[in-house]
Amino acid sequence: MFGFILGIVLYLLPQRFTAANVPKLQECTQESFSAKLQAGRMSFIYFGRQVSPAIALFLEELERSAEALEDYGISVAKVNCSKADVEKYCASEKVLKKSYLFRGSEVLRSFDIDTVFDVNAIVSHVLFTVLFNEVRSVQIPAELLSIERLAKGKVDVVFGHVQALGLPEHRALMEAAFVYGTKYQFVLTTGGPVLKHLGVEDPSSLQAGLWFLHCKDVSRVSDRCTHTVMRKPLTTLNLHTFLQMMDVPLLTEDAADPAEVDVVYSHLHVPVLFLFAQPHTLALDRTTAESLAWRLRGEVGVVLIHRGGTDATATQKYNAAYKLPEEGATLKYITFNSVEDAVKLFREKTLPEGNRDDDEDEDEWAVLDVLDDEVAESVYRDRGLTLDLEPVAELTGDTFNGAVARRGLTAVLFYVKWDAVSMAVLQSFIEVAEALKDVLDVVLASVDCGEWTDVCSSQQISSYPKVLMYRPGELAQPYRGMLGTDSLHRFILLSHTGNPVLLSCPSEAHTFLQGGVGERCPELRPVRVLGLFGAGQDPGISVFKDAVRALRGEAHFGLFAGGQAEKWAEELSVQLPALLVSRWPGVRSQAHAIRLSSVQELLTLIRRLLLEPFPELTVDNLPWYLEQKKPLLLLFAHDGGAEKADALLEIRGLLEKGQLDAYLPCWIHMGRTPAGRSVLETYLGFLPQLPALVLSQLSTGGEVFHFPTERPLLEGTVLQWLHSVESGMEKSTGVVTDGTWTPAVPFYDFLSIMDEEMPGYASQRDPKTKTTSTKGPEEQDPGSPVNSPSPHRHSEL
Amino acid sequence: MDPAVVLVAITLTALFTPISCSPEHPQAPNSTRRHDYCVLGAGPAGLQMGHFLAKSHRDYVILERNSGPGSFFNFYPRHRKLISINKIYTGRQNREFSLRHDWNSLLSDRPDLLFKRISRDFYPDADAYPRYLAMYVKELDLKVRYGVDIGSVRASDPGGSSGRSYVLTDQYGSQYSCGVLLVSTGLWVPQQVPFVGSDLVEGYESISVDPEEYRNQAVLILGKGNSAFETAQSIMGRASRVHLYSPNPVRLAWQTHYVGDLRAVNNEVLDTYQLKSLDGLVEGRLEDIAIVRREGGRRKAKRGQLYLTLTELLNEGARNGSSNVSAQSLPGFHSDNFSLRQPYNRVIRCLGFHFNFSIFDSSACPPRGGGARGRLPGLTAWYEGRGTPNLFVLGAAAHSRDYRRSAGGFIHGFRYTVRAVHKVLEQRYHSSAWPATRLPTSQLLSWILKRVNEASGPYQMFSVLGDIILLHGSHCDYLEEFPIQALPQLVALSGHKVPKRGLLILVMQYGLNLNNTLGPGRAESEWTRAWKSNFLHPVLYYYDALPTDWDMHNRPTGWPLPRPKAVHHMVEDFLTEWDQPISHSQPLRRFLEHCFHTDLRAFFAESCFRFSLTSRNPPLFCRQGYLKRQGIVGNGKLRQHARDAGLMPGHQDSDDLIEDTTVPEYLPHPGAAVASGVHYDL
Repeated sequence: MFGFILGIVLYLLPQRFTAANVPKLQECTQESFSAKLQAGRMSFIYFGRQVSPAIALFLEELERSAEALEDYGISVAKVNCSKADVEKYCASEKVLKKSYLFRGSEVLRSFDIDTVFDVNAIVSHVLFTVLFNEVRSVQIPAELLSIERLAKGKVDVVFGHVQALGLPEHRALMEAAFVYGTKYQFVLTTGGPVLKHLGVEDPSSLQAGLWFLHCKDVSRVSDRCTHTVMRKPLTTLNLHTFLQMMDVPLLTEDAADPAEVDVVYSHLHVPVLFLFAQPHTLALDRTTAESLAWRLRGEVGVVLIHRGGTDATATQKYNAAYKLPEEGATLKYITFNSVEDAVKLFREKTLPEGNRDDDEDEDEWAVLDVLDDEVAESVYRDRGLTLDLEPVAELTGDTFNGAVARRGLTAVLFYVKWDAVSMAVLQSFIEVAEALKDVLDVVLASVDCGEWTDVCSSQQISSYPKVLMYRPGELAQPYRGMLGTDSLHRFILLSHTGNPVLLSCPSEAHTFLQGGVGERCPELRPVRVLGLFGAGQDPGISVFKDAVRALRGEAHFGLFAGGQAEKWAEELSVQLPALLVSRWPGVRSQAHAIRLSSVQELLTLIRRLLLEPFPELTVDNLPWYLEQKKPLLLLFAHDGGAEKADALLEIRGLLEKGQLDAYLPCWIHMGRTPAGRSVLETYLGFLPQLPALVLSQLSTGGEVFHFPTERPLLEGTVLQWLHSVESGMEKSTGVVTDGTWTPAVPFYDFLSIMDEEMPGYASQRDPKTKTTSTKGPEEQDPGSPVNSPSPHRHSEL
Repeated sequence: MDPAVVLVAITLTALFTPISCSPEHPQAPNSTRRHDYCVLGAGPAGLQMGHFLAKSHRDYVILERNSGPGSFFNFYPRHRKLISINKIYTGRQNREFSLRHDWNSLLSDRPDLLFKRISRDFYPDADAYPRYLAMYVKELDLKVRYGVDIGSVRASDPGGSSGRSYVLTDQYGSQYSCGVLLVSTGLWVPQQVPFVGSDLVEGYESISVDPEEYRNQAVLILGKGNSAFETAQSIMGRASRVHLYSPNPVRLAWQTHYVGDLRAVNNEVLDTYQLKSLDGLVEGRLEDIAIVRREGGRRKAKRGQLYLTLTELLNEGARNGSSNVSAQSLPGFHSDNFSLRQPYNRVIRCLGFHFNFSIFDSSACPPRGGGARGRLPGLTAWYEGRGTPNLFVLGAAAHSRDYRRSAGGFIHGFRYTVRAVHKVLEQRYHSSAWPATRLPTSQLLSWILKRVNEASGPYQMFSVLGDIILLHGSHCDYLEEFPIQALPQLVALSGHKVPKRGLLILVMQYGLNLNNTLGPGRAESEWTRAWKSNFLHPVLYYYDALPTDWDMHNRPTGWPLPRPKAVHHMVEDFLTEWDQPISHSQPLRRFLEHCFHTDLRAFFAESCFRFSLTSRNPPLFCRQGYLKRQGIVGNGKLRQHARDAGLMPGHQDSDDLIEDTTVPEYLPHPGAAVASGVHYDL
């Protein structure tokens, strides 16, 4: 639809500001006004009566805008209400201050003339209104992310920032949007956190800016769109050139003389840089040219010239040439020593004044030396601090054996200092040690495997960090839980209690289940598992005890056996042997009859019983539940609020009715697990109102469905929704990416550097050009002149 | 497995296991003893192999002609100072690391069986070495048979199903039949060069070590190696002039990084030469010279003085030593300022030693190696004699593999090659594959850093022994200290298959060494220029398929391995500690990421939580840690650092939130009865 306009604008652009000032502002009579409305065109019309000096000024601007808006098919007119009393519009009190934008006879918007105070404001506001559906405005990063998400793989995004609407930059952006609106998704902001998101440090000081987000070629939803910053001032002409540059190939190649070569960039009024490639290093030169082209994208056209054998001119002497866009500029030859030189040349030429992006650029270039591993970086940031290892006993080759054989429990962390993960865990470990300082018979110790390598290999440590639990007379028990302060602390305390607690009467058993007996640390609120055995079930008891030993630290275990237990079980009408599981004090326990065959089977059963049917997902427990590989029916909720409790109860209800067997119903508390926020945002592209119910087919189809916020969250509606999702009637709101994680930063290719700096150094020898000196592979020491072998060489023996 | 190898393995067991060895009883003449493994020579290499054979419970015997171990050291070096360093204090407790600076100890599992127990001198007395070896034999209870002087070795190749074995005959005519023969006889036959008058020359092996005997004498030493300089240094305080003559200019170990070149501990003569104090160095071919005796004019000396001249100047009679030498036969007559025109009282030959080929029957004799002027036997990359299957050469004599390139001719080097050969034997004859550590791929980076920072084998045997990492995708097999020249034969030698994803090889290497060793710019500190490192530094080679013999043969000049798919140099480090996050760890990680084509970054549990809920394929680190319930939680401070760095999305941390401690309403209500009877069918 804009195709023809594109042509017009392109043609007009250079002349725009020099065109002759032919009056374009019509004054309408009542008749011509009606005719205008009926013609169905867009028109911007001012209704006025007297002409004050202020109004006169406005009319001048209006006249200028007539010329500009004509290019966009919008006619501009004024109606003198004293002459032509158009009803409805001339009637108003405020008639002096208003102008209207019509599409046919429909009013799209009215403007106060304080808003459309000059030609720029008029053009920008009018076009903004016309393009209301095409240009999105955003304030917060989530909105931009959501747009990006939808754009990935489809369309590139032009993101513009202006300090206020109506400024010349706004006009430039709107004019561009008018022309390129079908090609790119235009997004506008007037500041706010979204700029920080794009890396602007001080958004308030930024007059205007433009970013081109390359989303079209992004195939994986998890990837960010890379962006190119427009470095020149935001004017219509610059913007046009910039967008044209986004559309031409990043790099072109040619074999002609640079003086004669005709490239697309020459017509775009940008500097053109020619790089000369040598035939034997063509691939490498191309890589260099590409990286340079990326850095100069939008500013400079880069052409790779293949140096053939024929041209004996300057291309042999220099490695580059450039031509500036100014009229009559000549081709200049130059030799760059580095990519940096080239960038500098154009940055200084095109941006004489200091530019805020320079720092950003250097960072980008130094990306190889920036740690991009969050664990490594966070540990590195603490490099000035000395860890206080005092609460942790540092073991050596001499003290290790004695230390782990002592009474009680010794938890040993095996670590290496160069491993950031180890050092992060060591910090948590010290915190646990500090917290357990006063607990009798528990010692936390560490072994530096970089130093005591023998100790670590004797303990068969082949990965770092590793925590082993030592008890005298027992094999070391590997800690298999989360390596964090809370988890470790909990594990050590729980595994340190008598396991299982032996109970002798029903009341004790009852108190145990309610959290009263043998509980050293009730604040941990562990799940309590009671093994209930009848008389003469001793083999079962020993299986149970073995299983409990392996599960130490994961729950609180009790054992009640014998005649009393039998009686009690009868009262509870439970078949023996059985497990009673209690999750919460005051909540009645569940009983599970068991058939004991092997420790491993019992272990699996208990582990399964420890899982909750409707868990709150946390960072710590998620892996346990993901193992079920079921679609997640996931409720995101925040603190308090009746809505959350209600929603939980509704889902609970469905669960108890057995209607959610195919799913894993679960929920995330946004307060306790703030990471849930970005999960939800990734699922939907925005943050909806909480509580939000989402079905995530994480391990099945990979699709994500959002329960419509407008529907009440009730058992029935949820069930209905699940059915329609299953029958394919619901549209998914997002997908779980299944892309693989490829390296975030390319590696530093030493081979190509060698090939460039020392051709032949890294090349396989050509057997045809073999010299006499190469008799065998063991004689390649360049330092030994094989032709004059000397007999005097000694061994040191 | 190669069928031929199976065959040998069967043969070995069938032939040799039933016969036991009783070393106490002197053997009757003409009797034959059989062993799976015979080790020839109880020097450091033989004992080192003995230890590994004993450790793997193999049927072996070490045969030694002298009455104790390491007899070479009872006599050599003549001036009794070992120049292998005995560094006792390294500031570290890591035993493996300490071996990087202990050049004398042999390998064993005993942490205290180290040379420092015997001597605490940095350059120890040579007598200490046999004492150390005796202790090693005793404490490890190695089976050494002393006083057995093997005079001949021949191959027994009956053909058919039984493989080749070797028959050794001692001075009494007793025979030893050996399934595998491990020759660790060292280098002890003095090397000689034939020239006119070589009979007038004394040898390093027989000279007097009493400096007083050289009082005011002019001495010409042939050779410029450590024995020549050691001799010069010993006599320079008494002799009038000491000149050293050999074809090549002196090569300094601290310039070449080759410990066989002149060590600074022996180089005092360089000082007196450069300060013009009557000593000097001259270059020239040894084959062209002649040493002649001329009677010293009227003053009748006891013995005539010795002149160095050139064969071409001698007349026929003088060449045969039959007539007196005329003045015209001396170079000084023709060129009045010829450097060596003055006569010498003594000429001493210090030209090193060669392998004793003479005991080998032609059926069992390894060929002369190409390097080192044929002084050493020619060997395959896994130290088996070329053309002598089941005969391996260990120790100094095996130096032909890395002559002047690495440390394989020295105790601190060959103790590792012996271990490598033992692993080859275990695989070939007992189908026991090369030991490998299986690592999750997310752990590979820290494991490589561990090896790079402590492993002594690749450090001492730089460019020769390398760690091999077989890339299976989510896990790797890590093989230590493989002889990398044998890479094309990896599968047969190690018993491991090469996975589709290829393999990595970790080698320590010195650099190009183009600079002045002590000059400016000798050290590189920028990691992006690591490939220009001059000092020892780790290098990783990545191949997507095993290189062939052809690739290996045509590898780039000066390289230990063929051109790989990708290579990574870790920049040399002044402290040899390659553990820094920006210069060492991250570039290495990116290289590994390239080889595995996957992101190998570590993530906190919180990030893994996000990835696990929003991606069907979370990063490897999350899959191998977090999703196996072993996430790295980190504390609030660290996570905040990560947020500040923009590596984790920013939001309020949960740490300071008050936990909701009320009973959640969605839990089963207390009123609900005990849900009973859920019967798990186990």
